[in-house]
Amino acid sequence: MVRLLLDLRRISEPAERERLAREADENGIWGVVVTGPQGGECVEASAIATTTHHVTIVVDVDGNDVHPTTLAEEISVLDQITQRRTMVIFRGTSTSKATIATLLSGLPSQGVILSPPPAQASIPIQSPEDIPQTKLPEDVTQLATIIDQYRDSQTAFLIVSWERPIKELARHAVGRAASTDFPQMVADMADQIDPID
Amino acid sequence: MDMGIGLWCLQSTATSPRSFGQAYQELAEDARLAEDNGIHSLWLSEHHGYYDGYCPALMPAAGAALAATESIQIGTGVLLLPLHEPHRVANAANLLNEQSSGRFQLGVGMGYRPVEFEIKERDMSQRLKLMNAGLDVLRTTTQTPTWVGISSEKAAERAGRRGLGLFISGAFSKDVVNTLIQAHRTAWAQSNPSGDTPPPVGLLRNLWIVDTEAERRQALDWVRSSYLVYAGLGWGADNTGVDFVSQIETSMDEVEKSATVGSAEEIATELDGYDVDLVVCRIGYDQPPRTALTEVIERIGRELTPLVQDLGVQW
Repeated sequence: MVRLLLDLRRISEPAERERLAREADENGIWGVVVTGPQGGECVEASAIATTTHHVTIVVDVDGNDVHPTTLAEEISVLDQITQRRTMVIFRGTSTSKATIATLLSGLPSQGVILSPPPAQASIPIQSPEDIPQTKLPEDVTQLATIIDQYRDSQTAFLIVSWERPIKELARHAVGRAASTDFPQMVADMADQIDPID
Repeated sequence: MDMGIGLWCLQSTATSPRSFGQAYQELAEDARLAEDNGIHSLWLSEHHGYYDGYCPALMPAAGAALAATESIQIGTGVLLLPLHEPHRVANAANLLNEQSSGRFQLGVGMGYRPVEFEIKERDMSQRLKLMNAGLDVLRTTTQTPTWVGISSEKAAERAGRRGLGLFISGAFSKDVVNTLIQAHRTAWAQSNPSGDTPPPVGLLRNLWIVDTEAERRQALDWVRSSYLVYAGLGWGADNTGVDFVSQIETSMDEVEKSATVGSAEEIATELDGYDVDLVVCRIGYDQPPRTALTEVIERIGRELTPLVQDLGVQW
């Protein structure tokens, strides 16, 4: 399966980001991707976490010009706030990434251990190049083709941009991303019975 | 005079163990409760690498508290600026204020624990230089109201010269507090001869509203024991009569003497002697049961706040 991460990084209005995050939360989208100015990434993620309950908060952080322990502390506190719903996209040197990954696994790095520790046993940390991203088409048939391609290529995560209602994305893409035998006719029937404006 | 509450440290201490997830959830609940009861502000506190999870990252915690509320101010009391990259602090402060329509207050201090400077690979002997460099960055990159936590006259003077607010420790006697405020105001006046409104002064006070003598003794015991945390952290201040490193019992006696515990009317009378803009009631102890904490938040808002609103600085 491929887990869908709704990209909120280019949504400029805070209220609109929160609305989309809440809709993703309510409709079973696996994650939302957020960021902020350098140093403010976990602030933005924290605000989104406070207005949601289930969705994974994927925070895109700039790891340059910051002590790795400082960044790890921010992410660890964020994981307490999200209650184990944190995932990280890290931009920075491989050395810093390795240090932060160790700390976010609750293990010591050069004698330092995070306090508080992350709420999760280990917070997933990815590089930007590890996760493909795509702007999904509005046409349902084209959407299905793209989701099938990523699902069948053994991709773990896919960052998606989507400009139509979140419920439509959830109805047509989440089940398809999870399974090769997604019954498209059920989603099509749902569109007839419960149209999404 | 505005009334705030503090210090929320998000700990799980040996005295009162709890899950950290619960601590952060209760931060949002407490901020909402304080807001509903008309309290001006809630203040967070920072340390690094301590066993009890004392919050090391105040900006995400402030973000959660601000997102959970609509009108209360949330402040850092204080963020240890020499241990951070100032441009990141400024960016986070600006974002917090943008998201909250100007409800974030940035309190900064120097830090005093050698281990925290070791963790961040910074030279503690250079902390004043780091602090000043950080304040220079903040001055040019953020409009966020900035307060400086201090424990000496020299530090109060530095804050005054820069036109920054003052955030004074809860452990000091009234005489020490007044000396620090005077140093701050004099330095500000000398640096800003044409200025009309000095930067604000915030005062942390160990404070609890009680009805009986037994409750009073209980509250004072909570205050005393809360400073065991600071003894463990190694906090002390020169020339103030408070040094938890070498004189713990004497210092606890000093703290108890300076604590403001009584009825709302008695506390208001005591606070009338302070020439400050803001009193932050230090009630975030780890010993009181949660019901006692929520009750005192409600009483500070409903009983004490109306009594002190016309006290303090009148410009």
